[in-house]
Amino acid sequence: MKIMSLRKQTPSDFLKQIIGRPVVVKLNSGVDYRGVLACLDGYMNIAVEQTEEYVNGQLKNKYGDAFLRGNNVLYISTQKRKM
Amino acid sequence: MYAALVLCMCISCKSTSLAVYFCEQIEHTLSPQGILGNCSKMADEVEQQTTTNTVEEPLDLIRLSLDERIYVKMRNDRELRGRLNAYDQHLNMILGDVEETVTTVEIDEETYEEIYKSTKRNIPMLFVRGDGVVLVAPPLRVG
Repeated sequence: MKIMSLRKQTPSDFLKQIIGRPVVVKLNSGVDYRGVLACLDGYMNIAVEQTEEYVNGQLKNKYGDAFLRGNNVLYISTQKRKM
Repeated sequence: MYAALVLCMCISCKSTSLAVYFCEQIEHTLSPQGILGNCSKMADEVEQQTTTNTVEEPLDLIRLSLDERIYVKMRNDRELRGRLNAYDQHLNMILGDVEETVTTVEIDEETYEEIYKSTKRNIPMLFVRGDGVVLVAPPLRVG
């Protein structure tokens, strides 16, 4: 199932599509969060489930929901999990 | 019986639909709701605007943590654990029975090893300004 397509797609369309998928969220500080995207809003505030926090190596595991404030988010990317 | 051919476009999603409307009299006017009802994509857009309880925002999920203990990660290597009494859209928060942890890294001049130190303090009632907040989660379970 391809998300990338040649037709014009607004960022908000992409955000609607990726809900429920495993994602990688990188913050401005460089910290990495991997988990399943529960929901997000127009400010890029994010709720992620089963989150793992990566700074160089693995630091903390967060179970349940983790909320990330939108202004800290550098990018949200989908990932193909092989775990 | 009169037939009207209507081409309509949703101004937000730009999807178009062509429809034929039958009416008894030539003066009948078409309401926007009537047109929207025939475009499934546009109907979805209207639905999302009026019934906001179907799509929950991250802030709605924080609301579920009210009066619960939470863990807050902040800028400048600070962490808070406390009871969430109130919050707003900026993530300004009122926390009760808070323990603040400040983590610092000292680098030894000779050995160049990193020494992690954490300083804790307890605050009975705290107002947190939202722009310092990075992450909000239920308290971490060690192990």
